[in-house]
Amino acid sequence: MGVEFEPRIIAFMCNWCTYAAADTAGVSRMQQSLNVLPIRVMCSGRVSPEMVLRAFRAGADGVLVMGCHIGDCHYSNGNHRTIKRMPLLRNLLGYTGINPERLELQWVSGAEAPRFVEVTEAFIAKIRQLGPLSQEVME
Amino acid sequence: MVEYRADVLVGCEHGEHPDLVGALKAEIERRNLGAEINVVETGCRGFCAMGPILLIEPEGIIYCAVKAADIPEVVEETLVKGRVVERLAYQEPVTHQRICHYEDIPFYHKQMRLVLRNCGMVDPRSIEEYIASGGYSALEKVLTTMTPDEVIQAITVSGLRGRGGAGFPTGRKWSSTKHAHGECRYIVANGDEGDPGAFMDRSMMEGDPYAILEGMTIGAYAIENVREGYIYVRDEYPLAVENLRLAIERATEMGLLGDHILGSDFSFHIKIVRGAGAFVCGESSALMQSLEGSVGEPRPKHVHATESGLWGQPTALNNVETWANVPLIINMGAGEYAKIGTTNSKGTKAFCLVGKVRHTGLIEVPMGMTLREIVYDIGGGPQEGREIKAIQTGGPSGGCIPSHLLDLPVDYESLAEVGSMMGSGGMIVMDDTNCMVDVARYFLDFLKDESCGKCTPCREGIKRMLDILTKIVTGNGEMSDLDKLERIARTVQRASLCALGKTSPNPVLSTLRYYRDEYEAHILQKRCPAGVCRDLITYNILEAKCTGCGRCLRNCPRKAITGERRKLHVIDQALCIKCGICKENCVFDAIEVS
Amino acid sequence: MSITLTIDGQSVQAEEGQTVLEVAKRAGVTIPTLCYHPALEPLGACRLCVVEVIQRGRSQIVTSCTMPAEPGMEVRTSTPAVMESRRTVLELLLSRCPNVPVIQQLAAQYGVTEPPFEADDPNEKCILCGLCVRACNDLVGAHVLNFSDRGISRVIGPAFMEKTRDCIGCGACTIVCPTGAIEIVLEKEALYAAKPLGPASAIYVPFLQAVPRVPVIDTDACIRFRQQARTNGELADACGVCQLLCEARAIDYTQQDEELDIEVGAVVVATGFADFDPYLAPQYSFGKSPNIITGIEFERLSNSGGPTEGEILTAEGVPPKSVAILHCVGSRDKHTNKYCSRVCCMYALKQAHLVRDKTGADVFEFYMDIRAPGKSYEEFYERVQEEGVHFIRGKGAEVTVQPDGKLLVKGEDADLSRVVAVSVDMVILGTGMTAQPDAAEVSHLFGIGCGNEGFFTEAHPKLRPVETNTDGVYLAGTCQGPRDVPDTVAHANAAAAEVLALLTKGEVVISPATAEVNRDKCVGCGDCIPVCPYTAIARVDGKAQVNAALCKGCGTCVATCPSGAIEALHFTDEQIVAQIEGVLKWV
Repeated sequence: MGVEFEPRIIAFMCNWCTYAAADTAGVSRMQQSLNVLPIRVMCSGRVSPEMVLRAFRAGADGVLVMGCHIGDCHYSNGNHRTIKRMPLLRNLLGYTGINPERLELQWVSGAEAPRFVEVTEAFIAKIRQLGPLSQEVME
Repeated sequence: MVEYRADVLVGCEHGEHPDLVGALKAEIERRNLGAEINVVETGCRGFCAMGPILLIEPEGIIYCAVKAADIPEVVEETLVKGRVVERLAYQEPVTHQRICHYEDIPFYHKQMRLVLRNCGMVDPRSIEEYIASGGYSALEKVLTTMTPDEVIQAITVSGLRGRGGAGFPTGRKWSSTKHAHGECRYIVANGDEGDPGAFMDRSMMEGDPYAILEGMTIGAYAIENVREGYIYVRDEYPLAVENLRLAIERATEMGLLGDHILGSDFSFHIKIVRGAGAFVCGESSALMQSLEGSVGEPRPKHVHATESGLWGQPTALNNVETWANVPLIINMGAGEYAKIGTTNSKGTKAFCLVGKVRHTGLIEVPMGMTLREIVYDIGGGPQEGREIKAIQTGGPSGGCIPSHLLDLPVDYESLAEVGSMMGSGGMIVMDDTNCMVDVARYFLDFLKDESCGKCTPCREGIKRMLDILTKIVTGNGEMSDLDKLERIARTVQRASLCALGKTSPNPVLSTLRYYRDEYEAHILQKRCPAGVCRDLITYNILEAKCTGCGRCLRNCPRKAITGERRKLHVIDQALCIKCGICKENCVFDAIEVS
Repeated sequence: MSITLTIDGQSVQAEEGQTVLEVAKRAGVTIPTLCYHPALEPLGACRLCVVEVIQRGRSQIVTSCTMPAEPGMEVRTSTPAVMESRRTVLELLLSRCPNVPVIQQLAAQYGVTEPPFEADDPNEKCILCGLCVRACNDLVGAHVLNFSDRGISRVIGPAFMEKTRDCIGCGACTIVCPTGAIEIVLEKEALYAAKPLGPASAIYVPFLQAVPRVPVIDTDACIRFRQQARTNGELADACGVCQLLCEARAIDYTQQDEELDIEVGAVVVATGFADFDPYLAPQYSFGKSPNIITGIEFERLSNSGGPTEGEILTAEGVPPKSVAILHCVGSRDKHTNKYCSRVCCMYALKQAHLVRDKTGADVFEFYMDIRAPGKSYEEFYERVQEEGVHFIRGKGAEVTVQPDGKLLVKGEDADLSRVVAVSVDMVILGTGMTAQPDAAEVSHLFGIGCGNEGFFTEAHPKLRPVETNTDGVYLAGTCQGPRDVPDTVAHANAAAAEVLALLTKGEVVISPATAEVNRDKCVGCGDCIPVCPYTAIARVDGKAQVNAALCKGCGTCVATCPSGAIEALHFTDEQIVAQIEGVLKWV
């Protein structure tokens, strides 16, 4: 085997919760993999399906959408939209030949830096197992 | 079905003689006759004066005042050897002749037992016996051959009127209930018999419960959209409640009550509601209040129950006797039924003949029979040496009919005309030992507790009339009291809320009308002509008759009598409480009331 | 429908459903009554209002109060029979109640000056007209008074003629009683028993410290308002005692609730909290004994303006000999509320102190741990311990009502590692704070967040504790979360200060990250309008338009827009995609 596969993961993080958690995780010097590429949005509700697909097209092996817990949304109910969109999108991903497992929705609040690390590491591990997206699509 | 050689019918089994049936069964068992002879416990046969009664069928032999000790002889002589036990047979009071057959006894001979046909003749607990004696043929006829309107038409043509007392035409009541607007309709049987001395409804409910159920079921069919009926029975009639409950169970089992009666689309349920013993709950609006679970108090009847009765729905409420008449009419045919009775009062009526006649009991006579026939022919006339003074009909709401009106035919209108009423059928015979003022007082005393107390005239009026009568019977009356009495009575009659109140002065008004002289004797001469009112009488021992036997002395509860043996005894008036025990005990008729 | 009938020869008009009495009254014909009151269903008991009615050729004497007027009816109000009936009824009533002025006067009008019979009790005043019974049952709904017994023994009173705690002491019976036969005697115990710890009448000052401190009328309990509701506003003449007694003439029954539109620059939401509903913790048997009360109810009981004037009494009207106080009722429990209500420990300690101080009763505190942070709080805890309160470390597990009425409290004493049970006279449940039941509605109204527990969400838990995510809306007090009085005051002051700062500045700063509609692309479908949490989007001239002052730039609308007509400034699709592509290119 050649070089070990390093997944590239696009993580959409909401400005108020997850982005803060990621910040805290960094400030707290928690050990993290480098595979997560953060994209800050104001709210997880801002993440349109198109954006996710653009990420995959641009070469991401996995996409994580992260926002505030339900009920804690900075914008009251922006994440209510997210929780409707993402499962639907996951269902549709199959048709494009992309394993739906490559898209995940997670709630991580500003105070949950350890959880942020936990969630991202687990996702990285999963994607690592699935292998590169390019390989999957070619198959 | 097992056939028996003979049936022994035992009435009057409840109450005082619970051992009779046991003794009879034991004796039959002992002689191993169980397969031949059937013992049936029936309801009341009505001949109360002569009870307990045994009737042996098919011969129709009747034995009166039977005791458990007589049983072996009855079984030996009659059931085994086929002979009549003369000494137990009915004895005619005037000729002293023994009559051993049921139909020959004048008490029964003059009656027309239609509604009471089964009372005392069948086992009230057995639906088979009821059916065997023609029961439920009327219901079958109605369900299979008649439309509801035809049933109402038949009842209307029969001329049946309410047997509870007021005499409202039953057909009209059913028809207005049927045509009133409501979600559903109800029918109710009034078995809240409360008149002192009345037990017609009781005997029917105890002795022939199926007839009432059948009548109600026919009524429900005729009135239509009736899913539930209620029988309101006073709880003082436990046997009636039990027999009715059993009857409802059995009839439901047999498909004669409940859902899809006799396989038809017609369904009807009957529930028993036990009254708590308020006399006023016999009044229809109070009864319905009580049924609904409220306090049983009458309400103004500007809207009839047929429009808005139980739970605001059209309701046909009839006395149990009225309901029991229904199957009869269907079976006989309305035309035949209408031939019985007078122009305006059709059919028969059950009465409780009680008081000072020889043969007291439950009787049934065709409408229009005269009081004289009832009292003398059926009742056997007054006791030895007595004279009939008055007949009280209609219970506390009725009036006293004087003896000179004995030839009055008994029907709704005639009784009302003389100031009394049909009522539910109480008939109390009074003789010269009854004080009419005291009689009026007795009924008011009953009503003072039994009025519901809602409206002023009835509650306060009865109390004040009673006050006046008490004043009169204690010798403190004044002539002006009579005017006062009449005026209050008039107002109570006019202004009371319900029928109980409106009729409550009847005993006072009718006695005032016919026996004013007795009132005057109490007031003016301070004398009670009948020798009843204790404050106005004294007991004396007649020197000429007293033998000095000492019987009175021994029995006097107050030790008010003194005297040596074989010498004249004397009553100490200061100690005497006028209980009359000495007079009852004196065999020489030596004690005089004055 | 109008109908015509004649009364004493005079032709009168009547509405269908009216009684003869009502028609006669309107026609100016006087008919005497005693058991009649316009607010109550007629009973027809006194029989004084009898009239002669001729209908379909039949004449009868009827009570005009119950007789419905019918077309063609002929009514005669003073025939000899009517007059004799009334006279006799009055004679009877006067004989029953010889010393009642109303009856004396009525009787005199009918020529009766002396009672014809001797009264059983010359002081009898009740004529059994049943007005009080009807008022108590039909109007007030207290169901205390009724008739009992029948015939001449009939009387009116409460069940079994015993004092009852169902009587709310409203006095409606005394007002309708025509003969003054009922008197209200105020008893401290009776009043307490009357309505445990609640307002004793339909008009009351909510509490002593209420601002403004004026009485309010509970229209659901007020006899007059109930009558008004019952008659669809036709009648409003019942009771009226409060108006009668008010010297300042301040009571106006016609006042209505009003809705006011006020334009403001800022709103402070201070909707407070709701007491935890103790029925949700059935193990404490709340409601099964009047001596199991909540902390709030105890406050009412020990308040000098309360029903016992501050005396601590059990429902039996005697001071308790032993009292158990249970901490954490509905709090710190996964079955009810998980959070700590913060204030209960301290109020429970204060109540223990009050009970010791006022009654000297034994006090048992069942607690998990005492949370007494704050100035002088720990010291107060020590003081209460020194006062002889028994502290049992372990949450109260169960309260049962024993047959003798005493209350058995069970719990585990963690210090002793064993189950303990005490029998007490009174149990105070230290109920926690919960969000108002309508908090969700209010949060939608203002566009502010509402957490899982129902408390409103502040803009930032540490840095912006009074602001909300909606500009100009601030939070104060327990609507944001449980807090005690000093904290609430501080919170409220902070909110006031924020408001003042906002208002004095006269202008607002908004974030540049807002959404913008490209009108050329917008098809006016309106999908974006309902998704906006701030109602910042409206349709103007058939196209969406974002109000930049309201928009917070979350971008939910951008993601929703099917035609890509909305852009989130600083977070445009292009910018984000460029980021994605950028990072992926370099990794």
